[in-house]
Amino acid sequence: MKTQNKLSTAYVAGALVGAVSLAILSGCESTSAKDEGFKGSLNAVSKTAVAANASSTGFAPLAAIPANPPIPADNKQSDAKVELGKLLFFDPRLGGDASISCASCHDPSQGWAWAEDFSRGYPGTVHWRNSQSIMNSGHYPGSFWANSVTSLEAQAPSAAKGGVAGNGENDIMEARLALIPEYRKRFNEVFGDDFPRIKNAWRAIASFERTINQTDTPIDRYLNGDKSALSDSQKRGKEVFEGKGGCIQCHNGALASDMEMYNIGVPPATRWEEDGLAQITFRFELYAKGSNENLYRTAKADPGAYFRGKNKWDLGKFRTPSLRYTMYTAPYMHNGAFYTLDEVVDFYNKGGFDEDNRTTGWPKTKSDLIKPLGLSDDEKADLVAFIEAFSGDEILMDKPELPEYAPMFTLEELKEAKK
Amino acid sequence: MGIRATKKRLLVSVAMGLGLALTVNAQAASKYPDIGPLPSVKINKAKAELGKRLFFDPRLSGDAAISCGTCHNPEKGYADGMALSAGYPGNKHFRNSPTVINAVHKNRWNWDGRLGTNLNDVTRGMLTEDYIMNMDMRIMQERAKQDPVYVKMFKDAGYGEPSNGSIRKAIPEYLKTLTSKNVPFDKGTMSASAKRGKSIFKGKAGCIQCHNGANFTDGKAYNTGVPENWDVFMDTDRHQAFLAYNQFMGVENYNNLKRDTGAHVHKHAADGSDMGTFLTPSLRELTHTAPYMHNGMIESLEDVVAFYNNGGGEDSNKDSRMKKLGLSSSEQSDLVAFLKSLSGDQLTGDKYVWSEEYPAEYEAIENWREVKN
Ligand code: HEC
Ligand code: HEC
Ligand code: HEC
Ligand code: HEC
Repeated sequence: MKTQNKLSTAYVAGALVGAVSLAILSGCESTSAKDEGFKGSLNAVSKTAVAANASSTGFAPLAAIPANPPIPADNKQSDAKVELGKLLFFDPRLGGDASISCASCHDPSQGWAWAEDFSRGYPGTVHWRNSQSIMNSGHYPGSFWANSVTSLEAQAPSAAKGGVAGNGENDIMEARLALIPEYRKRFNEVFGDDFPRIKNAWRAIASFERTINQTDTPIDRYLNGDKSALSDSQKRGKEVFEGKGGCIQCHNGALASDMEMYNIGVPPATRWEEDGLAQITFRFELYAKGSNENLYRTAKADPGAYFRGKNKWDLGKFRTPSLRYTMYTAPYMHNGAFYTLDEVVDFYNKGGFDEDNRTTGWPKTKSDLIKPLGLSDDEKADLVAFIEAFSGDEILMDKPELPEYAPMFTLEELKEAKK
Repeated sequence: MGIRATKKRLLVSVAMGLGLALTVNAQAASKYPDIGPLPSVKINKAKAELGKRLFFDPRLSGDAAISCGTCHNPEKGYADGMALSAGYPGNKHFRNSPTVINAVHKNRWNWDGRLGTNLNDVTRGMLTEDYIMNMDMRIMQERAKQDPVYVKMFKDAGYGEPSNGSIRKAIPEYLKTLTSKNVPFDKGTMSASAKRGKSIFKGKAGCIQCHNGANFTDGKAYNTGVPENWDVFMDTDRHQAFLAYNQFMGVENYNNLKRDTGAHVHKHAADGSDMGTFLTPSLRELTHTAPYMHNGMIESLEDVVAFYNNGGGEDSNKDSRMKKLGLSSSEQSDLVAFLKSLSGDQLTGDKYVWSEEYPAEYEAIENWREVKN
């Protein structure tokens, strides 16, 4: 049923080979065929063994993250492009009423995300999902909680244009860029544009995002051979993660994510029951993403990956998120259902139920990999400590000074124009 | 072509001499649909009432900051009193906000006449243009469904559940209620000066050639040589909207434009001779809607008449009907008096304006899990 052995991207496979340490089959409480192979002891083994293990079991072991994300052939990095992308990322003129930039919802001081359950929305709206961190997003083969777009270049316009996100239109955003001399100059240098073209703005932003990475976390140092990088508690937590906790089944590889889709039982946001603005967005999203009448009328939970192929079996599934940088990105899950990692671990320990015993609104698709774990309080604390090992120091960035508008013509030029 | 040539000759005669001109223009006047009172319109009360609430509701714009009534303000004759309209937050507009009084009596809309279907389409344009209300209509629909007052009003109006389609029907129904009221010209209570002005309008001044029919417009576009309003280009907030609009309308080299394109945006004449042509506007309700012209460049009716008396402005595409008129100053003030006699009462007060407050927040739907969306 699951497809987690298809680590489809070359990138993830590449990361495996780079790993210097891994978990191997330890034989403890393997409950199904699917589980085989990931339960780990901490025995260090050779690179060859890594590859062998990965290919025979399908689970990529945890791995250090490569220094740089893959760079698409048609959008090479350059300093000038990244610098331009940074300006644009922070520039609210790439949004409908010029008040909201990418950085408004991906705030460096809020983990490059937004620290509420639902992301803030375009003024007058609220989003329906939790804002995802930009950290390491260049490493992902697809974007969004439902993994619905396949490149950062394609992701940026859907963010800037979506009605509850940027709510901008290409024509006016492009016009604004044309009226900023500094951008005219930079787009010309970087892309050869006479006037800035909006699609190149998305390319520059994507290039900038590919520079927002964190590679020096305790787990990276540990996997690169520094055995002191993890505390004892974290080392025990790693064992739980790879063993009794079963986390590694989905949170594996260099990103601690297999990039596959699951319904792990996250309960629907209670905010939908209480907040009129959120109810509006909920129905809007159902409608806009193309629900049939029945789904639009009856859905009371986010259908998630369903919208990608309109397959019933995808209802309520979301992409396994990376666990990197999560120390800074609370609240967690696609709808921000949990505010702390302790809550997350309790949720998994109960087999995908929250403290009020609420679970997914789509019980039929709930993954059978999610079941009560029977973790002790110590094991839970160790697991939380281990998750924290996926985060290094907080990475902050000041908002750059943005270039200003200037009229395109002088009054003299205007007056001289032949009418 | 033939018709155009005839008209040209007529105007040449106008310029030739007063006596002759009067006769010729008397014939000319009879060729044009006569000016007169507007026909009455049938209105569905419940739908119009709903439309009224929608018209003044800022929740119909993307960031919930402005309503139709912000730019079409009842206190300003459903225009906004500024040369150029404010536009959506984040930008400004590049045109004057026209009155919507009597919009129901037109068959082409906007200064450039780019919409020639119906007010439903005009409403859609207003709602969705990024520099006007920037509204994703799917969000608008859900906002309406979240407001119990709307849920009831849509039902009472026979629309069923609130939908973006019925919003675009209800607003035009309300617009039907905004028609001239107590107009001296319609009631036959014009001053003597205004009556003299009427003859000048139909005769010597030749205004009737374009401003004809009950609503004083022939629905065609002309270049009268109104000077450019340089704010459109010098104010980057306006210029961005102007660029967006020309790009959207498929005008070539829009970044290099140094004049308002006018009806060229939809006529696309290869030689550009339609550049700077604008739809003949109605002349009703002018006393409430200064400043005048597509870009608010003329401040008073006296100045408008002086502009025409001078043969309009300068433009290589200027219409050949625009010739010096040789009106005396008393003829000019008679013409102004006539123009003023085309305005009626302000359409203010509860009959026309939604004055109840809109809820500051959206109430949550109770029992959300149990009820259907
Ligand atoms: C109004 C808030 C908002 C704005 C503005 C916004 N985003 Fe987002 N962003 C979100 C939310 C919420 C998600 C998750 C949405 C989902 O999965 O449906 C997201 C997801 C993403 C992701 C996917 C990350 C991942 O892990 O897959 C990227 C990349 C991203 N945004 C970049 C941008 C860029 C670039 C801009 C500016 C062009 C932008 N965002 C503007 C709220 C916002
Ligand atoms: C069946 C695959 C699967 C397993 C097993 C699994 N996860 Fe997850 N994990 C997911 C998915 C999918 C999500 C996102 C779910 C959502 O948003 O609805 C997630 C979300 C998370 C998050 C929140 C991340 C964020 O950025 O919001 C954390 C933390 C997490 N998991 C930790 C764990 C731990 C610890 C375990 C082991 C106890 C575990 N996961 C086991 C698939 C899995
Ligand atoms: C931001 C200001 C603004 C808002 C808000 C606005 N309008 Fe307008 N409206 C204008 C401007 C400016 C024009 C002229 C546009 C042009 O000629 O290009 C116009 C034109 C019109 C016209 C055509 C009038 C004519 O005689 O041709 C109608 C009808 C109209 N608007 C109705 C509405 C309705 C209904 C709404 C609300 C749904 C609305 N407007 C909201 C500024 C606005
Ligand atoms: C060739 C056709 C034509 C003739 C003849 C003509 N007009 Fe106009 N009139 C127009 C057009 C077109 C506009 C709009 C021009 C613009 O906005 O650039 C206009 C605008 C106006 C306006 C401004 C209306 C507003 O709401 O801003 C007034 C007042 C006016 N005309 C009065 C007159 C008078 C008085 C005469 C006769 C002296 C006259 N017109 C003759 C075509 C004509």
